[in-house]
Amino acid sequence: MEDKYREANRPATYAAANRDIIRPLLTPTAMWFGAFVLAIAAMLYGGYCWYLQITWGMGVAGIKHPTFWGVYIVTFVFWVGIGHAGTLISAILYLVRSRWRTGVYRASEAMTIFAVMTALLFPALHLGRVWQMYWFFPYPNQRELWMNFKSPLMWDVFAISTYFTISSVFFYVGLVPDMAIVRDHSTGLVKRIYNVLALGWRGTHKQWHSYMAAYGFFAAFAAPLVLSVHSVVSWDFAMANTAGWHSTLFPPYFVAGAIFSGCAMVITLLMPMTILFKWEDYVNTWHFENLAKMCLLTSGILTYSYAMEYFIAWYSQNPYEQYIFWWRTFGEQWWIFATMVFCNCIAPLVWYYRPWRQNWTILFIVSIFVNIGMWFERLNIVASSTSRSFDPSTWDLYWPTAVEWGILIGSAGWFSFWFLLFAKTLPGVAITEIKEMVVPPVKGSLED
Amino acid sequence: MSFSDGVQIKGVYAHLDCLLTGIEDLKSAGITGWTVQAPLPRHEIEEAIYEGRPAPVRWWTLTGAIAGLTAGFLLTSLTHAQWPMINPGGKPVVSLPTFAVVMFECTILFGGLATFAGMIVHTGLPSLWLPKMLQDPRVVDDKFSISFTDAPASQRERIEELLKASGAVEVTHGADTIYEVPNA
Repeated sequence: MEDKYREANRPATYAAANRDIIRPLLTPTAMWFGAFVLAIAAMLYGGYCWYLQITWGMGVAGIKHPTFWGVYIVTFVFWVGIGHAGTLISAILYLVRSRWRTGVYRASEAMTIFAVMTALLFPALHLGRVWQMYWFFPYPNQRELWMNFKSPLMWDVFAISTYFTISSVFFYVGLVPDMAIVRDHSTGLVKRIYNVLALGWRGTHKQWHSYMAAYGFFAAFAAPLVLSVHSVVSWDFAMANTAGWHSTLFPPYFVAGAIFSGCAMVITLLMPMTILFKWEDYVNTWHFENLAKMCLLTSGILTYSYAMEYFIAWYSQNPYEQYIFWWRTFGEQWWIFATMVFCNCIAPLVWYYRPWRQNWTILFIVSIFVNIGMWFERLNIVASSTSRSFDPSTWDLYWPTAVEWGILIGSAGWFSFWFLLFAKTLPGVAITEIKEMVVPPVKGSLED
Repeated sequence: MSFSDGVQIKGVYAHLDCLLTGIEDLKSAGITGWTVQAPLPRHEIEEAIYEGRPAPVRWWTLTGAIAGLTAGFLLTSLTHAQWPMINPGGKPVVSLPTFAVVMFECTILFGGLATFAGMIVHTGLPSLWLPKMLQDPRVVDDKFSISFTDAPASQRERIEELLKASGAVEVTHGADTIYEVPNA
C-alpha cells in the first residue's frame, strides 16, 4: 500500500509538476475568499482588544498578582512550538535525505515563518507600554543599564530573532527557482513581479552550483536551531526557581512537544489545502502517515516527560514540587491537566492502528485534538505554577478575560491571513524538489 | 550587447544523457565559454562541469560563523565588563557558560547571512539583465541547454555540429537563439 502512495508522489514529467502545482495560484475561489475575510475579521477583533488593553491598561487582560504570565506567554510558546515542525521537516529531513519531506516541506516552512511572526506579537502584547518594546534589544539605553545576557529572557530574544531570520532566508532561498517557474507561466505585471522575486533566476550551471551548496549550509544551520530555540524557550521557565518549572527535563520535553504540535499543525493545514488544490499526486496518505508517525514518537516522549515530572516531584521530597503536581491533577483547574493528557497522550494512540493512521478524517480530527492539547499543556505549566506559588497568602486562580480571548482569536486570524496569502501567491509544494523525484528524460541510459 | 565578433549559439536538449554527452564533447574539444541551463539541480551535470570542485560559498559560511561567534562573545562580555559594579554573588562577571547561548545564536545568524551573501555573489544573482538568449522559459520548465553568448565566429560550425551530434533537439545561432513564447 505504501509503495502505491510513494509512486503517486512522482509526476510523469518536469512540465507536469510545474503545471499541477502552480495551477491554483492567483485564482481566488469563493471558499478561499471567505476564509480570507474571516481571517481579517478575526485579526481586526484582536486589534480592537489590543486597543482596549493599551487604552485601559493590563488590568483588562486578567494579568494581575500572582499570575503575570497568562495567555500571552502561553500562546507565545504555543506558536513558537508550532514553527518547529517546519524547520525539522525542511532542514533535518533534508540533511538525512528523507524522501517524504518533499511534498510537505514548503507548506511546513511557510507555517514556521507565520507561526514565529505570530509568536513575535506576544512579547509586545504582553508589555503594558508597547511603544517601549525596543527595550528588548541590546543597546546602551539612556540610563546606562545595559542588557543582562545572563537572563534567559535575553537569550530568548536572540534565539527567536535568529530563528525567524534564518528560517525566512531558508524559505526564500528555497522559493527562488520555483518563483522563476511561476514567472514563466505568467504574463504582464505579474510576470515582472515574479521575475524580481526570483532575482531573475535562469537555472544556469553557475547558479545551481552555488545555490545547492548554500542550501545545504542553510539546512545545516537551521537543524541545530530546531533543538536550541525551544530549549531556550524552556529555560524561560526552567531557570526560574518556581515549583513545577525548575527542572532540567524541560529542554527535551519542550522540543518534543514543539515537534509534536508542529507536525499535527502541518496535517491540519495541509490536508484541506491538498484537497482544495487537487494536489493528491504530490501530497498524499504517505506524507500524512509519516507526519502521524512523527507525532506518535513525540507523543511518546511527551507522555514519558509528563510521567517523569511526577516521579521527580515525588523522588525529590520537595513539598512545593509535590504540591504543585498534586494541584495540577486534582486542584480547581484539574480539567486543564485532563484535557492536556487526553489530547496529547491518549488521542494520538489511535494512530498506532495503521488503517486509522491512513484515514484522512481520523488524521485531521486527531491533529486538531493535538493542537488544542498543546495549547492546554502550556496553560497547565504557566497558570498552575504562578497561581500556587510558595506563599499561600498570594494564591489566586488565573483564567483569561474576554480581551485575552479576543487577542488569542486575533492571533489565529493573523496567522491564517498570512497562510492564506501564501497559499494563493507562492507554490505550496516545492516544485524543484518534486522534479528531482521525476525519472529524468534519457534517450539511452545514465552512467552511475 | 557584444562588441566582439562573437556569435551566439544555443543547443536545446530534451534528454539528460544527451546533455551530458554534449558537455563531455565540448570539454574534450577544448571549447570553453559555454553555459549549461537546467530546470533542476542534477548531480550528474554538476559532476560533469565541476568534477567535484566545491562551491566557494563554504568560505563565506565559515567566515560568517567565526565572525558571529566572535561578535557574540564580544557583545556579551564587553557589555557586562562595562557594568562590573553589580556583584553577581562572587560569580564571574564574564561567564562563558551563560553567554554560550547568545554566542551560539550569533554564530548561526552571521553564518547564515554570510552564506546568503556568498550565494548571491557566486550565483550572479540578481540576474535580471542576462542576455536574452539565456532567458529561455523552456530551460526552467523541462528542457536543458548549452549556450554560447560570445563564441568565436570561426568556430560556429564546429560547435553546432558538436551540439547536434550529442543529441541536441534544436541548435540555433544569432537572433534565432532568442526563444519567443508562442501566443505570449
